[in-house]
Amino acid sequence: MVEEVEPHLQELRRGTVVLACLQLLCTPGYGYGLLEDLQSAGFATEANTLYPLLRRLEKQGHLTSHWDTGESRPRKFYQTSKQGIYLAQAMHSEWQTLSEAIDSLGDDPLTNEEK
Amino acid sequence: MTTPLPERYIAATVKHLPADLQADVHAELAASIDDAVEAHIDQGEERETAERVVLTELGDPAVLAASYVDRPLQLIGPRYYLAWWRVLKLLLIIVPTVFFVLVAGGHFLAGSPLGEIIGESLATGLSAFVHVGFWVTLVFATMDRTGFETGETWDIDQLPEPRKEHPGSQELVPSLVFLGLMLVALAWDQLRGFVQHNQEAIPVLNPELWPWAMLGLLAIIALEIGFAILLFVRGRWSTPLAMTNTILAVLFFSWAITLLARGELFSAEIIELALSNGATPDALYIMGVILGLGVGIICAWDSADGWVKSCRAGSSKVTEQQPATTQ
Repeated sequence: MVEEVEPHLQELRRGTVVLACLQLLCTPGYGYGLLEDLQSAGFATEANTLYPLLRRLEKQGHLTSHWDTGESRPRKFYQTSKQGIYLAQAMHSEWQTLSEAIDSLGDDPLTNEEK
Repeated sequence: MTTPLPERYIAATVKHLPADLQADVHAELAASIDDAVEAHIDQGEERETAERVVLTELGDPAVLAASYVDRPLQLIGPRYYLAWWRVLKLLLIIVPTVFFVLVAGGHFLAGSPLGEIIGESLATGLSAFVHVGFWVTLVFATMDRTGFETGETWDIDQLPEPRKEHPGSQELVPSLVFLGLMLVALAWDQLRGFVQHNQEAIPVLNPELWPWAMLGLLAIIALEIGFAILLFVRGRWSTPLAMTNTILAVLFFSWAITLLARGELFSAEIIELALSNGATPDALYIMGVILGLGVGIICAWDSADGWVKSCRAGSSKVTEQQPATTQ
């Protein structure tokens, strides 16, 4: 049962990590710190998808980066660019539209079943 | 002392990356791994266990590197998979069969024992099978990786009539068979000879054409084979294809006419043989003219055929759109 459900859930989650990153990185953050923030915010993300994703978003201009050498170990900090904020807004409103659309479909399937 | 695991992991990852990315990814990955390892140690794990857990979660370094640079992890992607599969299936049926039959026929004519005929033709057929598989896949994988554009995007007008086959396949098979037979005939003529006279093999084409003129002909045949496959992959005629087809026809025509006009096309022996059998020089001259005209007509027809088909392919689009523009 779980094996059939999990791929569909992953399909739904895909893309939400991008939105979460763009929103969290409005205040600058670095790889591992962001990974922990995402996990505590409820976005199950793997390190090996997050790190390449950050680089891809940077390449596309949605993030900017700089090296912070002030602390004990040098870290690459990312921050959402103007373009990235625009993307986050677009994704956010799309998410809201989808969420309303799903609500308009009626009650939770489970509660229907119990009736 | 051996290099620590994280360092080995990072080295294994960045070696797959382009040089300009290596230093940056190296430093960032090192910091990220250190952060993660420390977090595990803070929870009471040994350093070595923590490193193992963190690196195992990151997974195969080659996969990580590939996702850093968006490198495809498949040989042939969805864009070319179907074209590759169609071409491969067709060629895997045609080419080994042709080779099998030709080798078997050749050995049979040469009077080889049955065991040798079977063994040799099976071995040739098998090796043709392997070669076709390898080369076709190599060409398509290269096309996929270099982002080679076939210039064709699917549109609704391409939907075939239910009774028609995949466009181009009716042309692909005869073209390939014809070109293959031509190659075999060339080789047979030059190496064994079609004409036997006084127990001596006489080549029809001038052996002195080797190497340059003959290599030129082989190059033209190779281009024709490439063109037949390209036409099959695109699935329909278009103006650039008709143009290429015309260029190839002109190339072949120039090759044949130049050699014919210079009297270098046929071997001296075959002309001597014809003269000694009662043909007059005048008759040979007229035959040469007829041959030249024949080549010209065939090339012109082939070229025109391409243009007609490409116009038809183009006009089927236009007529579909007309109702919208008349409103």
